[in-house]
Amino acid sequence: MIQVEALSKDYKSVRVLQGINWAIEDGAFVIVTGRSGGGKTTLLSIVGGLTRPDAGRVLIDDTDIWQLSEPDLAALRNEKLGFVFQFPSLIPTLSVLDNVLLPIAFGDKSPNLEDLKFATSLLEMVGISGKDGQYPAQLSGGQQRRAAIARAMIKRPAIILADEPTGDLDEKTEAEIMDLFQSINGQGTTIVMVTHALDYAKIGKTYTLKDSHLFPYEDSEASPRDLTRGGELRHDA
Amino acid sequence: MRQIFYLVRQNLKRKPFRAWMMIGGIVLACATLFVAAILSRGIQSTLQTARERLGADIVVVPADAREEALSALISGSPTSFFMPSSLEEKVRTAPGVQQTCSQVYLRSLDAACCVAQVALVGYDPVRDFTINPWVLQKTSEPLQANQLVVGAKVISALVGTPAKAIGQRLMFMGKPFSVATILEPTGLGTDYTVFLHMDMAYQMTQGSPLYPVPVKKDQISTILIKVADGMAPETVAANIEKNIPELKALTSNQLTRSFSRQLQDLVDVLFVAGGLFSLLALVLVGNLFALSVRQRMRELGLFRAMGARRSVIFQLIILEALCIAGAGGLLGVLIGFSVIWFGKDIITEMIGNMYMWPGNPYFLKAVLLTMAAALVTGILGGLYPACRISSLEPYEAIRKGE
Repeated sequence: MIQVEALSKDYKSVRVLQGINWAIEDGAFVIVTGRSGGGKTTLLSIVGGLTRPDAGRVLIDDTDIWQLSEPDLAALRNEKLGFVFQFPSLIPTLSVLDNVLLPIAFGDKSPNLEDLKFATSLLEMVGISGKDGQYPAQLSGGQQRRAAIARAMIKRPAIILADEPTGDLDEKTEAEIMDLFQSINGQGTTIVMVTHALDYAKIGKTYTLKDSHLFPYEDSEASPRDLTRGGELRHDA
Repeated sequence: MRQIFYLVRQNLKRKPFRAWMMIGGIVLACATLFVAAILSRGIQSTLQTARERLGADIVVVPADAREEALSALISGSPTSFFMPSSLEEKVRTAPGVQQTCSQVYLRSLDAACCVAQVALVGYDPVRDFTINPWVLQKTSEPLQANQLVVGAKVISALVGTPAKAIGQRLMFMGKPFSVATILEPTGLGTDYTVFLHMDMAYQMTQGSPLYPVPVKKDQISTILIKVADGMAPETVAANIEKNIPELKALTSNQLTRSFSRQLQDLVDVLFVAGGLFSLLALVLVGNLFALSVRQRMRELGLFRAMGARRSVIFQLIILEALCIAGAGGLLGVLIGFSVIWFGKDIITEMIGNMYMWPGNPYFLKAVLLTMAAALVTGILGGLYPACRISSLEPYEAIRKGE
């Protein structure tokens, strides 16, 4: 379970997030929308242990991740979280298979035969089997995104954080990638996704980030103060 | 660590031009430093050997023939200069002098009478303590009147194959001689000198067109001195010059120093160039690494997002720097060694006959020091970018890399 408490973040004296209280149950599919530059990616990166908040706490399975030491936080990212970014994030010098196995290399052990088999099966699952020996430049944008999803899943993380994973893809590919996320979510993995694509709001619980505050999407026309004053903790599944 | 090596290798393969630029900078610095170190030590070894093999602490020559004498002693130039032999007695009784002997310097003709024009030096096989000990190490008897002792580097010019030189007959000024032995190289004029019995030296000048007035037995060219234990050669030499103004007393240190100064200047230039190239390599490596890290900021941020610790990112960059520096250092040593090995003759030509291989232990030390200099350059060049990128938060690195 992810719990966010009174989270605030400024960028160069601009308040990006203010007093965010948020809870995400295990196995949820959560979508965060909002205008560009509104702080969605910042929220996701704070939840994922990539950016330190100015105030507040992020608890993953009751562990305050920003109280962890740097190696422990790195281990948490490695073990419990998987990231899919809005840009092509494969390492160009590595083959698709090496890219998928990369999080294992940053863990406690070297990739073994079992990891290799799992990576191959993931590539099959995301629909790019047979591309394992190719390099990112040889893949289309959609195929690269699928490979990145396979990489995010290689350590069997409990949570996948996806930042605009379909932003630069055509509609057909976008639909396929979203189906893939749904399928992964169906296997019990929590998905927290930042997207502009409101067509997919029905997939899970959708929030909108507006004026540094987070609202359930259906309440987004309400005053921010109504939802965040008093630091109430909202539980959504 | 194996994975980090793999990532480093893959990254270097991706940017071969940049990698070779950095390697090239380090190669230049290391090759220059290596050559300077080997040459410097080679010259020092040569000077030390020369001092040891000179056998005398002081060489006394006529004051007005100082330059000629230096030229003969240092480079074996064929020359003649004389002083009365009675001066040897004066020198022998000077304070601090333990032993003396004398030599006579002649020129041979480069004509039908002689095999080549070389410096001929007559010495007394009974009293001499400079050449004789080396001869007696190789032959059981002192030099006979019809025998020659030949310098290490002149032997090829005289007989062709040094291996077959012993016993070979040679003509000098119409007189036949046989080669008794060959001297070890000294780096001094002795390498280019032919030594013979002093009596023969006097005899040879009779009837020689080079010496219309034959050299008499009361004429000598140099007085060689061994100083008493505990005496400083410089003090003894100064005393001789003060008491006998017509003489110039050259200590072995002075002798070697006078011709080593120019060589040392050359080595100093090489060291300065090596230092400048090292600085240049450091700036080059530092800048290219900073550029490389800036270009890879997003990638390195992604590594952190995937669970790489700060230390892993730091290791990744430092290891890459070490690989580049190591390759540069190794290539620099190889190129430096090739320059010295294949350019041996050119170096000898350039710096006179003063170059000797400094010995394998020093060579190994020079290799290790050059490699260490390369690795330090690499580490320093990679340190700032490594510290900077590993101190960034993952998201900040990703964002800055976009």
